Amino acid sequence: MAFIQFEHITKRFGRNTVLDDINLDVEKGKLVTLLGPSGCGKSTLLRCLAGLENPDGGRIILDGEDITNRQPSERKVSMVFQQYSLFPNMNVFDNIAFGLKIQKIPQKQLRTMVEEMMAMVELQGKEHALPRHLSGGQQQRVALARSLVTRPKVLLLDEPLSAIDAKLRKSLQHRIQQIQRELNITCVFVTHDQDEAILMSDIIHLMNQGTVEQSGAPIELYTSPKTSFAASFIGNYNVLDGAAFAKLVGEPAKPNDVAIRPETINLTLEAPQMQPDAYVLSGEIMEFSPHGNVIRYTVRVGEQDIHADALFRSFKLFQTGQKVYAIVEKRNCLPVM
Amino acid sequence: MLNEQALASANQSSIQTLQRFNGFRAKRRTYLLALLPFIVLIITYELAPLMTMVIRSFLTPKTGEFTFANYAAIFQKKLYRDAVFNSLSLSLFSAGIGIVIAFFGAKAIYESTLKRRNTFMSILNMTSNFAGVPLAFSYIILLGNAGVLIHLGRHFGISFLENYNLYSFSGLVLVYVYFQIPLGTMLMVPAFQGLKQEWREAVSLLGGGSVRYWFKVGLPVLLPSLLGTFSVLFSNAVAAYATAYALLGGNFSLLPIRISEQFVGDVLQRKEFGSALAVMLMVLMVGVTILSNWLLKRAGQQRSTYGK
Amino acid sequence: MANRGKQKLNLTIMVLLSAYLILPLGLTFLYSLFQEWTSMLPTGFTLRYYVDLFQDPGFYLPILRTLIISTVPVLLCTAITILAMYVIVVHHPKWQKYMQIFCTIPYSLQGVILAISILALYSGLPLPFSDRIAMLVCTYCILILPYIYRGIQNSLNAINARQLIEAAMLLGYKPLAAYLRVVVPNLLSGITVSFLLSVSLLFGDFVVVNIIGGSYYPTAQMYLYKMMFRSGQQTSAMIVILFALTLLISAGVLVLQQRNKKSVAHKQEVADGFHTI
Repeated sequence: MAFIQFEHITKRFGRNTVLDDINLDVEKGKLVTLLGPSGCGKSTLLRCLAGLENPDGGRIILDGEDITNRQPSERKVSMVFQQYSLFPNMNVFDNIAFGLKIQKIPQKQLRTMVEEMMAMVELQGKEHALPRHLSGGQQQRVALARSLVTRPKVLLLDEPLSAIDAKLRKSLQHRIQQIQRELNITCVFVTHDQDEAILMSDIIHLMNQGTVEQSGAPIELYTSPKTSFAASFIGNYNVLDGAAFAKLVGEPAKPNDVAIRPETINLTLEAPQMQPDAYVLSGEIMEFSPHGNVIRYTVRVGEQDIHADALFRSFKLFQTGQKVYAIVEKRNCLPVM
Repeated sequence: MLNEQALASANQSSIQTLQRFNGFRAKRRTYLLALLPFIVLIITYELAPLMTMVIRSFLTPKTGEFTFANYAAIFQKKLYRDAVFNSLSLSLFSAGIGIVIAFFGAKAIYESTLKRRNTFMSILNMTSNFAGVPLAFSYIILLGNAGVLIHLGRHFGISFLENYNLYSFSGLVLVYVYFQIPLGTMLMVPAFQGLKQEWREAVSLLGGGSVRYWFKVGLPVLLPSLLGTFSVLFSNAVAAYATAYALLGGNFSLLPIRISEQFVGDVLQRKEFGSALAVMLMVLMVGVTILSNWLLKRAGQQRSTYGK
Repeated sequence: MANRGKQKLNLTIMVLLSAYLILPLGLTFLYSLFQEWTSMLPTGFTLRYYVDLFQDPGFYLPILRTLIISTVPVLLCTAITILAMYVIVVHHPKWQKYMQIFCTIPYSLQGVILAISILALYSGLPLPFSDRIAMLVCTYCILILPYIYRGIQNSLNAINARQLIEAAMLLGYKPLAAYLRVVVPNLLSGITVSFLLSVSLLFGDFVVVNIIGGSYYPTAQMYLYKMMFRSGQQTSAMIVILFALTLLISAGVLVLQQRNKKSVAHKQEVADGFHTI
């Protein structure tokens, strides 16, 4: 039996159905991400698990117990919020020790536990600092420590890094992952950032408008999106209309849209030989822009623009206006619903 | 797309206009005339009266010599000692009760639905206008010697009501608390906006309940506003004149009434002594503000040594 | 999260407090409608106390005096402060903190201290300083200054006065004209709230008018005080009438606040659009 089970979870706010019959399992010791755009219900589902929201229908089972009607304080679940996690009137030490004091842990043991946790998040020496004197990244590390020191069954994170600078985000992502693996604690992570999700998760659940659109390991989701929503949300897929694509490649029209990853498209100036398992499309470079270590070309093929990514191995290879040939293997053209 | 040339020339002329204006400021200072009426008003009716009052409190009548005698007289004569003591205790009590009620009232507003919140706030707004003479009078018909509640007490045999004396210290506190409630509550409402929902949720997830939240997080965070509002309520009460005057006239010794007596009325005019009393009143108000700031600082210091 | 119990508790608190606050008011209103209230319930319903008041010519004069003395200082103070703010906003923004200090001192002077200090200083001097009515008007101006100033300052911040002035000057206005023709009209809707607040404050004032005005300018509040010793029911009736008048003013404040929120937001959009041209 899975460690966490969501069974037929439904939640409505007024006339809005925010969660629509969600059924989801989370294995023990895994870092699972709920990924999706704003309003898809991921935060609401997380808060239902925490007990901060009550579902209108369905059950939540944690470690074999039905916790659907339990108070948040009785669930042994911890949460790191997007911001304002820390109590502003207490220093770092007291913030972290808060949960332990409630459990009436004796002072000496409490001290050891807090110091251990502070070492784990690398904040030694900051015991007496107040939250307002800490950076955003430091505050979230304290919040993390506070959530973990009470040895919860599940750690929930609600977009904890959205308010952090991009540079700092990477190191915090690694740190969270590291801690999760070291403690082997079950983690449910909510984010709208697909790069973050792919980097950190064991399993990703992609949510859209109250339902789970697709679930799987990061690579699986990245290489095999099943719906056009999944394709347009994860990776930088080109999603082409089925009929238009069929016309381009000269095949009979198919009902599904086609999703192609930009990095699977090869661009050449000379016409390539015909290949049995690849499509060759002719087009024109409309524009290009650097993205990190990749150049993204916008190529007009037929009446559509597609993106093709090329590694930035030498200086840019193609100019605007050049006529090029785009080669893409057939197996990289994924039909999506 | 804008014509870049047109944009450049427009920028040029705007820069010229602003340069002309900056130069304008340095050349002709006639615009300062606009400030004149304000300065005249402030000097003649705010600063001059204030300063002359403070100075006058240190002068002997008729001779104009510097002296502390006026202040000494406040503490030597029982009438005025009582005035200071009564004003202080009346204001501390009514402000203290007021701030407690204001806390729960503002908390109720913070936690309630929009409709209830608006209704209650409208009632607060409406009744905050009810003060001074009208308020005193309505309490007289409520709890005065022939008051309605007195009759009720007599009828039902509730001796507390039957024998209640409005014209006493406790009666004054009761009436003063009435006008502290709307003011205090409305002042506290914005402070609750600063309480983040995340803190409440975090306490809950860490195993704490409502009481722990309020004592460990809510009240400490609200403390500055609570003390600030208390200061305002105190100042409001200590300088209140109309209500006390209408209720008790000169029969109960309170600072504002004693002060006005020195300047108006049948008793001989004693400006110097009256000024000293007025300065005393200001000292009480400033004193409470300083005290609450000090308390705030101490509470802040305590936090950061906690956990050593 | 134990929501329903908490809601019930809060509702109880709000209902109890509302009842406590409305009780004296309601009682006064009832009192004005009955001839006698010596036992549990009043007897003898009558509107005669109201009729007597309205028929008494001596009643209208204090009310009129109160209305005049409540509005004239507010108009005066508003005009003076708006004019002064011209210098601050357009020429010397750094002086704003001094302005704020001077406009906040009256808070701590409260009623009685301000009144006696002004009276003590000017009552011995020759006219026009010792004229009681002039003294009263000017004292009131200082009394409401914090509220008027705050209203103007908030309005100026909300409409981003600096941007408006610069935009107007780029179009060719001289600074004073820019201020008067562009900023001030936008200000007016924002300050109506503090305007009416000040009027209702002065309307209910007793301490200043009793000390400075005295018998020179008997207002409604003083008339009321004298009436307290004559007839309880009549006093109740007058209180009800006066309170109804203050309510009207407050209601005006609320209505304008609602309308003002929309118009200020609208004006901000106009200012932003103006600036991006």
